[in-house]
Amino acid sequence: MNTALKNIRRTPFQSLSTVFVVSIILFVVGIFSLVTLASHSILLNFETKPQIIAYLKDAHTTDQVAGLISTLTSTQGVKNAVYISKQDALELYKKSVGNDPVLLGTVTDWGIVTADILPASVEITASNPKSFETIVSIMGNSDIVSETPAGKKEIDFPEDVISELTKWTNAIRTAGLLLIIALTIVCILTIMIIISMKISSRRMEISTLKLLGAKNFYIIKPYLTESMIYGLAGAFFGWVMSYITLLYSTPFLAPRLGGVISFPVRPSIVLILLLALLIFGLALSLISSLIAAARFVKRSK
Amino acid sequence: MIDFSHASKAYTNGDVVLDDINFSVSPGEFVVITGKSGAGKTTLGRLLIRDLLPTKGKIVIDGEDLSKIKPKNIPLIRRKIGFIFQDYKVILDKTVGENISMVLEIGGYASKKIPEKIARLLEMVGIPKKENLFPGQLSGGEIQRAAIARAIAADPPILFADEPTGNLDKDTSIEIFKLLQKINADGTTVIMATHDVTLIDLSPARHLTLEKGKIISDSEKKTSALSEPSPTAKTKRKIKK
Repeated sequence: MNTALKNIRRTPFQSLSTVFVVSIILFVVGIFSLVTLASHSILLNFETKPQIIAYLKDAHTTDQVAGLISTLTSTQGVKNAVYISKQDALELYKKSVGNDPVLLGTVTDWGIVTADILPASVEITASNPKSFETIVSIMGNSDIVSETPAGKKEIDFPEDVISELTKWTNAIRTAGLLLIIALTIVCILTIMIIISMKISSRRMEISTLKLLGAKNFYIIKPYLTESMIYGLAGAFFGWVMSYITLLYSTPFLAPRLGGVISFPVRPSIVLILLLALLIFGLALSLISSLIAAARFVKRSK
Repeated sequence: MIDFSHASKAYTNGDVVLDDINFSVSPGEFVVITGKSGAGKTTLGRLLIRDLLPTKGKIVIDGEDLSKIKPKNIPLIRRKIGFIFQDYKVILDKTVGENISMVLEIGGYASKKIPEKIARLLEMVGIPKKENLFPGQLSGGEIQRAAIARAIAADPPILFADEPTGNLDKDTSIEIFKLLQKINADGTTVIMATHDVTLIDLSPARHLTLEKGKIISDSEKKTSALSEPSPTAKTKRKIKK
């Protein structure tokens, strides 16, 4: 450890630039991890909400509804199917509009909103947007699903929203992954070059150590330690930058994503991010310094 | 202990540096190898620590043929030989203590015992309390003594000194030579390569002469005290370990 710290002190600018590069890269990795986590939460939120709602004719029996739900739940890709009676629909409506007297109809000429004017429905949650077509087909063939005056079955499903969201989420994940891979390579190369330069600059000392009977591990140990210090320091500063960015963006994000993600972000998530970045930084530094050391071992006698 | 058998060394450009070298060194012996610059003394030392491989013949140390030794075991062979380099090879940005400490760490000494061992070594080689000084703060003779302390730090059974007095004045050279004799008296086999023939007269040690890569004379001069360490000397080495 002392030798590693001495090596760092000897070349402060090289060391600083290495820590800076690692910090920036791990900051980007941290931000993309948070973005991926957020997009996953957004998608999960959409996926766990009822995605297909089929409105039922007033004339339906409990057996008919049970039969339809049984057919749906046995269909692949259906996560859940729930019957919402007229009374349930009224409760949901009241819950969604709160105490607004206009929307409740108490101050209009329309009279109070009652269960009779609301249709019963079946709400289906799909495990995969790809199963929408099958589900809609089953509903379309059901006699108890109501029809519009134009003869079209009254089935609501936000197919476009889900598929668009999935597409964007996948695109963000892929772009993030590619960026992280590219930056990881840059990080490995940077540490590798710095460590190789340091090893080369001390080749006389290294050759003396070898002649004195030192094994390769004894020789490369200070360089591995130095590299690990870069990785850990870079990970820590990268995490600090990610956390500061998160704190500053919270007032902007909270009103927009408040219903989907809880703000401020839980401390446990922030600590997990720190741990993940430290492990990632350590792994990167070890890989790069081992490559540099392996090249040195190969070249030296 | 050391056996050179028809060992030759030629470089890729065709220069033959050592040609059909045959000699053996017994445990506890003090051997002085003399020869002009370029006679092959340093190459002989480098062959001994397996820094170079012979192009012909074989070199055996403690029953191990250096040509057949596995690369991972080379450090183990090198630890058996304390090497005093012609150019000292002390690391300039490390203190004398740190230079010696490296060899002790390589040899697997317990960290707690290292400072005490360093102090004892420096006392022995005649530069006490210099462990915190850098080589740049020492005289040539002191650096050479520090290099000797480093070479014998891990109690190697063999010590090879390559021109240990090459850069020193006559009085300091004699002191260094006497120090090597003292190390030999403690049971270490010493091989000293030098071009300074005046030193040979100071000792009844065995004397090999190299010329153009060949041994042209082997005095086989031995005294019982130098060729076989006394039981007391052997005990001293065990205590040091």
